[in-house]
Amino acid sequence: MNNARATQSTQAQERAPTDWKTVAMQRRIRKRYRAERRFRFFGIAAVVLSAAFLAFLLVTMVAQGWRGFTRTEIMLPIDFPASGMMVERAQLDTAGADLALAGAGLENAVKSAAAAAFGPGGESYISDNAWVSVRKAIKHDASVLDRKTQMRVPASSEVDQAMAGRGTSEILAAVAKLKNAGLVSRHLNLDFLKVSDSTDPVAVGIWGALKGSLLTMFVTFLIAFPVGVLSAIYLEEYAPRNRWTDLIEVSINNLAAVPSIIFGLLGLAVFLGSWSLFGYRVGPLLPRSAALVGGLTLALMIMPVIVIASRNAIKAVPPSIRDAALGIGASPIQVVFHHVLPLAMPGILTGTIIGMARALGETAPLLLIGMRAFIVTPPGGLTDPATVLPVQIFLWSDEVSRGFVEKTSAAIIVLLVFLLAMNGLAIYLRNKFETRW
Amino acid sequence: MTDAPHKMTARDVSVFYGEKQAVKNVSIDIDMDRVTAFIGPSGCGKSTFLRTLNRMNDTIGNARVEGQITLDGEDIYSSGMDVVQLRARVGMVFQKPNPFPKSIFENVAYGPRIHGLANSKADLEEIVARSLRRAGLWEEVKDRLNDSGTALSGGQQQRLCIARAIAVDPEVILMDEPASALDPIATAKIEELIHELRGRYAIVIVTHNMQQAARVSQRTAFFHLGNLVEYGDTDNIFTAPREERTKDYITGRYG
Repeated sequence: MNNARATQSTQAQERAPTDWKTVAMQRRIRKRYRAERRFRFFGIAAVVLSAAFLAFLLVTMVAQGWRGFTRTEIMLPIDFPASGMMVERAQLDTAGADLALAGAGLENAVKSAAAAAFGPGGESYISDNAWVSVRKAIKHDASVLDRKTQMRVPASSEVDQAMAGRGTSEILAAVAKLKNAGLVSRHLNLDFLKVSDSTDPVAVGIWGALKGSLLTMFVTFLIAFPVGVLSAIYLEEYAPRNRWTDLIEVSINNLAAVPSIIFGLLGLAVFLGSWSLFGYRVGPLLPRSAALVGGLTLALMIMPVIVIASRNAIKAVPPSIRDAALGIGASPIQVVFHHVLPLAMPGILTGTIIGMARALGETAPLLLIGMRAFIVTPPGGLTDPATVLPVQIFLWSDEVSRGFVEKTSAAIIVLLVFLLAMNGLAIYLRNKFETRW
Repeated sequence: MTDAPHKMTARDVSVFYGEKQAVKNVSIDIDMDRVTAFIGPSGCGKSTFLRTLNRMNDTIGNARVEGQITLDGEDIYSSGMDVVQLRARVGMVFQKPNPFPKSIFENVAYGPRIHGLANSKADLEEIVARSLRRAGLWEEVKDRLNDSGTALSGGQQQRLCIARAIAVDPEVILMDEPASALDPIATAKIEELIHELRGRYAIVIVTHNMQQAARVSQRTAFFHLGNLVEYGDTDNIFTAPREERTKDYITGRYG
């Protein structure tokens, strides 16, 4: 032992002073700089690659999707006196106007006007819903019924596609003629944001799905946020550290990693199934396909995310603050609600909104609880049949009709704007509540 | 020596962290009009013992306290003692200044507010001003009570923490190395403050700095390896220690 130490120290004395100018040393330095440059290159390459993918996504979406916010409209000449429609003028000012016009055969009158204007088969040039906009115009100004007039009505899906250069040669030629005459054109149409699903791609809108998403998120937040945050507070501040809390912690971490479709099955079995426990019903019968059940299912899914984020945020509050409050006689609950929670809030909110964003984009669990139905009326409440944005996108992307492609892209734009708004909110809240030390 | 009953007494107090015994059978008396200093090398149990005096050890999961500690003759570990009230009566100042990340005013007003000590807003303002004056901080902060407490310098933060402890009108103030994170000038201010506060509150101070113990305290307790080695008048401890270990420590032979 002593000997070894002695040898070491003599060796240390005999070592020549380090020469920093040797070739080997220079090579090592060059190698180090090369490694540095290589790393920077890879880093920049990775950033450029992901930015390129993002730009590609956005550009494709916007390029395809902007047409979803426009509508092809066609100028339709109508001779109302010649159409043989019998309408009581007095009825047009009453609530029964819609019924009166429908009863007078407005739909057929509009179709024959189209056939008269565009030749045989001309009724296929206008949308099936064209008569609805004619009805609107009549209700706006009843005097049109007395004369021959022209009206802009939504064109059919075929004409719409022909405008984009798709379709049979006959329709392409016909549309080109109309276009040259200035009778057909595209217009910005925000009806897409105001109406709901339809079988006709020209008439579909996103409002029903958007409202369904909002209602679902509302339920999700209402359940997941308080339960998640309170669980986190209990586990961090009150629960004893023992085998049971370890087990709970492991379970929560595992739950956060469970595939979402399994939560869908759980929601199906628990909320829509019999709620049965040993053969007895223990809960209310909930409606299928409703925002309430969707929200509950998604709440189950994001609760572990909120618990984990909140626990980390609570853990990050310096213990000295707890000591300070306890030291002047604050009770444990005062310590939590006056000091720990406000300081942890930015982290909790960020985690919650990330969880909510995940829930907003979730499709699979909602398919299982029946939110994939074809829903024409926007949901009026939490128990009405509803669908949500990502499911709507999924449903439209499955349609064969070409007109749904741009509507799908337009719906994706709406979903992305929604997500961006939520992330913006997260950043705003974090900055607002963040304490500067 | 006064004949008045002791403010706090500890009898045969032992503290365990799990299996490990950190404080061994300590008996000590704390009097109203004196500053009591706890000195000793790191890990000797002096801070642990200090924290048993207002039951701050309760927050540590596996800590266990044996023996008896009384405040005005009442056992503070008995079931009848409300720990929240105890901590208001026995205030604490920590090693690292730990103001709340709120305004200076809110830092001081927090304690009176949760204990309902102020009847009105004016009353609360009066308590805050008085506490800051007693802590010797008023002149420096009176024009910026709404600034953040964390924006003050380290020494000012520590005096703010003392003002915060004073604001709930405690009887005893425990100070756990209150000046160890401060520069000499800020330290001198804290020591001066301790002098001024003496008599109004019973003060117990844990310190690493023996000169500080000699300067500020009237009674000194020397801890070593969890034992209370010697306890007596500060003058006697520093000039004529009875125990060999005390003598070795204060002459700097270890520590």
